[in-house]
Amino acid sequence: MAAYDLSINGKIVRVETEADMPVLWAVRDLVGLTGTKYSCGMALCGACTILVDGEPLRSCVTTVSAVAGRKITTIEGLEGKIGSAVQTAWQDLSVPQCGYCQSGQILAATALLTQKPKPTDQDIDTAMAGNICRCGTYADIRRAIHKAADLVKRS
Amino acid sequence: MLNLFPGQPSRRDFLKTGAALTSGLVVAFTLPTGFAKLAFAQDAKAPNLDFSSAALPNAFIKISPDNSIRLIINKLEMGQGVNTSLAQLIAEELECEWERISCESAPVAPVYNATFMPTQMAGGSSSVTSSWDQLRTVGAMAREMLIAAAAEKWGVPAKEIRAENGAVHHPKKGSLSYGELADAAARQTPPSPIPLKDPKQFKIIGKSVKRVDAADKSNGKAIFSSDVKVPDMLYAVIARPPFGATLQGFDEKAAKKISGLKEIVKIGGEKVAFVASNSWAAMKARDAAKVQWKLSDDPLLSQDGLKKIFMETLEKPGTPVKTVGKPAEALQKAKRTLDATYEFPYLAHACMEPMNCTVAFDGKKAHIWAGHQMPTADRMAASKVLGLPPENIEVTTTYAGGSFGRRANKDSDFVIEASTLAKKFKKPVQVIWTREDDTRGGYYRPMTMHRVKAGVDARGRVSGWDHKIVGQGVMVGSVFAANIDKTGIDPTSIEGVDNTPYAIPDFQLQLQLMKTPVTTLWWRSVGHTHTAYVMETFIDELAAAAQKDPLKYRKEMIPKSPRHQAVLDLLAKESDWGKKMPAGRALGLAVHESFNSVVGHVVEVSLNGTDVKVHKIVSAVHCGTVVNPKGAQAQVESAIVYGLSACLYGDLTLEKGQVKQGNFHDYQVVRMPEMPIIEVYFVPSKDAPTGLGEPGLPPLAPAIANAIFKLNGKRVRTQPFSKGLV
Repeated sequence: MAAYDLSINGKIVRVETEADMPVLWAVRDLVGLTGTKYSCGMALCGACTILVDGEPLRSCVTTVSAVAGRKITTIEGLEGKIGSAVQTAWQDLSVPQCGYCQSGQILAATALLTQKPKPTDQDIDTAMAGNICRCGTYADIRRAIHKAADLVKRS
Repeated sequence: MLNLFPGQPSRRDFLKTGAALTSGLVVAFTLPTGFAKLAFAQDAKAPNLDFSSAALPNAFIKISPDNSIRLIINKLEMGQGVNTSLAQLIAEELECEWERISCESAPVAPVYNATFMPTQMAGGSSSVTSSWDQLRTVGAMAREMLIAAAAEKWGVPAKEIRAENGAVHHPKKGSLSYGELADAAARQTPPSPIPLKDPKQFKIIGKSVKRVDAADKSNGKAIFSSDVKVPDMLYAVIARPPFGATLQGFDEKAAKKISGLKEIVKIGGEKVAFVASNSWAAMKARDAAKVQWKLSDDPLLSQDGLKKIFMETLEKPGTPVKTVGKPAEALQKAKRTLDATYEFPYLAHACMEPMNCTVAFDGKKAHIWAGHQMPTADRMAASKVLGLPPENIEVTTTYAGGSFGRRANKDSDFVIEASTLAKKFKKPVQVIWTREDDTRGGYYRPMTMHRVKAGVDARGRVSGWDHKIVGQGVMVGSVFAANIDKTGIDPTSIEGVDNTPYAIPDFQLQLQLMKTPVTTLWWRSVGHTHTAYVMETFIDELAAAAQKDPLKYRKEMIPKSPRHQAVLDLLAKESDWGKKMPAGRALGLAVHESFNSVVGHVVEVSLNGTDVKVHKIVSAVHCGTVVNPKGAQAQVESAIVYGLSACLYGDLTLEKGQVKQGNFHDYQVVRMPEMPIIEVYFVPSKDAPTGLGEPGLPPLAPAIANAIFKLNGKRVRTQPFSKGLV
């Protein structure tokens, strides 16, 4: 057991845990931020996606010790022009159905638009292939990413 | 009497008991939607059909002084959008502004029972269709009560008052907001009968209003049952046996070394619970324990034995379900006969949110948090475990991260486990299932086989149809198991075949129900998942044998259903059926009725060896009035993608009772790059709404199979295609 100071959504939070605890469990059970979800535990589904220094990572296989000192963004702390545009597009197009995968989808989409302000459908396929949606909202996600790109461009 | 199930030929199956609706009796109901008979111990008085009471609108509508309106939704929101579509029904008649509405999940109480059975449930694509009249009436009653309150306050006749946009208006007296009238309105007696709006005046129904939960599901605020946090809560993961296995032992010492582990508890059914202060510790402790099982040698629990026994059973006669005309003779006279055997595997629901449940119990009262489709039944199950009367158990129905039938468990498995542990610890306990637990934990779409022998005469018409189905029912373990044992017929195993709309004059259907230790459950569209495949691919074969175009053949074979005709015509038009396809691409077609709706798909497919690629799908849907076009389209897309994963990849295999698959690497599902382009067209209709959560699924796989035939001349009869095409 050790203490780790984690920078989460702009605040420093101290957690006491084993070094090998994945960030997903730290964020959900120790810090109480439940927007990031557990679904597969093996980095296969993307539901646990967070941003670490802006990069999308699967928090179910990233340990607390690996992210100490880095900037973690969870869905609750998503802000900025691109993140806000993505969330606006998601709501305007009523993208979520059950919603369980959408935190991960939104963060992955934000990371994509940060890298590629005008992604092609192929770019979307590649960037979003790691995020599973069992409700099948893929068409709406694609539409929302294009819409968010447009919103960012016009802002 | 309200028309709760439009399109049903008769109401004779509805509510068999009248005077017997008193507490404590077990009542049998046949659901007109095609569900099997379900029994529920009734903990309520009459079901929710008494519309003269003011209790009804008050239970569904809460108006605050600031004129914001909370609508209480009595169906689980599991992605299908009911909290939006049901809110639309109320809001339309209530005459309020959509933007001022928020929705909450209903507690368990008799007033929230489904309109067709004395229990709360969401499922069977029944929520909108069964609430269509009820919730519009609820909204209208509230509107009239607000008007009556204003009439009283102003001293004017109610008929001079108009309700609009969250306020009542009188030409001389001015306006009052609903918020100002809410208290007085709650005390009014609603008039009878209640006038409902002419659909021509709809402002909210029929519009693609934004989902009420879109914001919370986009900002991390939406609470699913696995997100529930209760002070002092313990977390548990449970080691569950492979099917037919018994517990041999585990390394308690190694488990106890894990920091955070509180206790290891043996609970019923060979299960071992690892209880800790956080779920990570619980999972680690279970891993460290290396639980050992003594595996079963039952041939039904290994893939080879299972297949062999099913195939043998397929050769023998089964329970007669339906006979029309003289099928044996007709087959004898046929010019050609076709004989096909079909295989369908066990399928997991694989919801994004694995199963879980939280229960708190202090000895006298309890609280359950779960995303359940049947909260009344789940509460009853918990009450038996906890030794509490149901009224002492508060139930919070949270959002569910998908369900597709898994969270409508007649055994209340996930609730009983958590209740058992809550009772032991007298602390809140959250039982978490890992993805592997979820994939291997049973309650599958049953493995099923069909055999069809059909003949065609010299003119290409069907001459005899002999159909046999072998598989487990999904009602095993329910109160009706005994009756199904007696009759040998589980309606969910034959739906889609026994009521086929195809004009087949000499037809015979038999069913052989199998019993295995593997647990089964309804899975999005239930029996239609396999019956539609058999019917729609076999009809295509018959069309080919008759040398007729598949679409024209179906139109000829379903002369008596205007809805099927309308769907086929719409499909023909929007898919440009019959157009010349580029090399390597083919169109396949299927149409199927389920849950009172008719859906057809035309799919565009290419093949790369055994890899099936679906490029585009054109869908035509007859589901009556469309409450929310965007939401309706989303449900058709959703059912398509769910069905696509199943027919391309879905396959659970058994080895000595152990399910080999465990996670998304070996139980593969469709991802973004595989998403086809989907166009959905609705047949314009003023009929009351019919089901839509499930009907998009059944015609998908057969449409793909019918396209594959055009590409490689092969009829695929085994699912998934990855296996069937090899």
